[in-house]
Amino acid sequence: MNKLAYAGALAGLVFLMPVASAADSCSVPQLKVLAQKTLGLTTLEKSLADYRKASGTQVDLVYFGENDRRGKSRLDASTKAGAYQVYYVDEANVAEFAAAGWILPLLKYYPKEYDYNDFLPGRRSVASYKDVAYFAPLYGGGDFLYYRKDLLDKAHIAVPKTLEELQAAIKKLNNPPAVYGWVARGQRGSGMNVWRWSPFFTAMGGEWVGKDGKAGFNSAAGVKATQTYMDLLKYTPPGTATYDWSNAVESFRAGKVAFMIESTPFADWMEDPTKSSVVGKVGYARPPAPLSSAGFGHGFAIAAYGSKDECTRQAAGKFIAWASGKEQEQARLKDGVFSDYNRSSTIGSPYFQQHVQPGIVAGLNAITDTTRLNIWSSPLWPQVGDNLGVVLEELFTGTRTDVKAALDDAAKYTDAVIARAGRRN
Amino acid sequence: MNKRHSSSLPYVFLLPPMLILAVLALVPTIGAIYLALRDRMLQYADSHFVWFENFSRLAADRRFLNAIKVSAQWEAVTVIGTLVVGVLLAVWLFEKTSPRTRNLLSVLLIIPVLLPRVSAAFLWKFMFSPLLGIVSWLLGFVGLGNIAFLSDPGLALLAVAFVDIWQWGLFFAVIVLKLLETLPPEPLEAARIDYARSWEVYALVALPMLRAPLVSLALIKMIESLRSFDLIYVMTKGGPGIATETLDMYAYSQGIGLSGDISYASAMAVLMMVLTTALFTIIWKRAKKWQE
Repeated sequence: MNKLAYAGALAGLVFLMPVASAADSCSVPQLKVLAQKTLGLTTLEKSLADYRKASGTQVDLVYFGENDRRGKSRLDASTKAGAYQVYYVDEANVAEFAAAGWILPLLKYYPKEYDYNDFLPGRRSVASYKDVAYFAPLYGGGDFLYYRKDLLDKAHIAVPKTLEELQAAIKKLNNPPAVYGWVARGQRGSGMNVWRWSPFFTAMGGEWVGKDGKAGFNSAAGVKATQTYMDLLKYTPPGTATYDWSNAVESFRAGKVAFMIESTPFADWMEDPTKSSVVGKVGYARPPAPLSSAGFGHGFAIAAYGSKDECTRQAAGKFIAWASGKEQEQARLKDGVFSDYNRSSTIGSPYFQQHVQPGIVAGLNAITDTTRLNIWSSPLWPQVGDNLGVVLEELFTGTRTDVKAALDDAAKYTDAVIARAGRRN
Repeated sequence: MNKRHSSSLPYVFLLPPMLILAVLALVPTIGAIYLALRDRMLQYADSHFVWFENFSRLAADRRFLNAIKVSAQWEAVTVIGTLVVGVLLAVWLFEKTSPRTRNLLSVLLIIPVLLPRVSAAFLWKFMFSPLLGIVSWLLGFVGLGNIAFLSDPGLALLAVAFVDIWQWGLFFAVIVLKLLETLPPEPLEAARIDYARSWEVYALVALPMLRAPLVSLALIKMIESLRSFDLIYVMTKGGPGIATETLDMYAYSQGIGLSGDISYASAMAVLMMVLTTALFTIIWKRAKKWQE
């Protein structure tokens, strides 16, 4: 009888085995990822073939520029086309995508062994909406005050610690066309001029939305921040009023600029001898008080409509975990990409400590307590930020001159957006 | 005779293409009108009829009113610029070069228009860069370096229009040149015998003979200039400020760009369609008279 029961159980097991194995492997032949090109993803591409062998999933990365990537993913999600299983998301649109249900809470599908809590606290914070994690960071950081050590030494100027000191040093070092005192983003866009203007706005005590629920950036703080920003633009290379971040970074590493506040990953770009003429001449400091460091993060999230079934969601989560895992971060370092780190374990790793310039490591430690999200964390942000960016560009380029009236216009537009959104709720 | 009049054969041939045209043209048009009457936004699943609210918003929207002005300026500058460059260059080549040289130069003059718009835009964007561009470097020799063409509200539209004219003006020059070559030589020779100066020969004899094809070229360029989104988007994104923001650029930024307000963008598209249809109908009727 026992033998019979044993044989029956065995037969049952044999019968059930293929089903169990199918559930375990949950085979998904292809994942399409809507992405934005970064140095880290270039490294990742090299090991995609290995990932395919190990997981059985072919991953296709489709790249777009920043604004186009945002527009394309919104179109894919809002029309429920679902052509992509994974979206590249950032701090500027995570609220919108999460609130609309276009991306899924990540941790349910992020395997525990990949240790999500190892991500730096600042990265986890920008990757979340209402305290729920939606993307795994691939790229992010805060702000450095980039300065030319050689120029400051020659002029006997100390590294500015306050905004007033910075303004004075910029004026002193401005010597066009050889060297300009300052460079910053001027081009329209919530992730362009508004992003760089935001630390000035919050430093002056500005609030995005007042207690009455109306836009607050036309306040005295908004006007003062804008006037300060415009005053600094007088000491920039020609055309800065429409510069995006790449124009600003390129003019700095071409040796044409003395000071710049920009995102921390660009420190690596300054020390690249094949592209930079200021290697070894750049210092990395905390943005002068009261300016904070603008924290940001980009990463992969699971697209809700593209990943319709549980199996695809698991495959997407597994790929995201692998792409943002410790091994990938180490592979980037070994590839010479020191800008795309997101984990505590990476910063603590011997390779990082040995190869990253001590000045950059010191700078990163100096901004930890001042890095925060400066933009308005709201699903309405892309629309509001985009319009504010246009108004700021008009002011920077001189097509409008009345700062208060221009900000009033932007605030009026925002109030209308808030009212229309309220009508739906 | 009567039999031919009562034949239904023309309708048999006309019906399928008319049906295809109706589907191709009417479906998106009706779709755009339907969207324009609603409050559909990309970030919300639901939408409702708001009837003419989007149109009343447009009437009070300073960016929309500015976009109409910029679009009109863009049309005027690019169409007139292209025709002037095309005609002058063609006349100069016809007058000064041999047929063999003309053929060789024609091949070179066609190259810019063969470049994809986006490539041409990137190329000139880099060349116009005040710090690193070749235009600024060359102007530096005459003491005019470091001009930020694409960031100056007074120059940006002209700088982008220059690229458009560079592409189409040279191409039109080749077409006008070939048209000049087809003209009978007798009237031109007769004018010269009567001591007409060169410019008089062309302005008063040759070009009037080419009036019909020149009007057609102008119409083609007017339609083409309405579709310069890619060039402007790459070079200025509508900036500085809103100095180069044309209607299609603004509609894109509201509908597909970061705003996602597709009903509002559709309202713009519907108004653009009505305006351009009315305008081109008038121009078309006038053009028929000019061609006579």
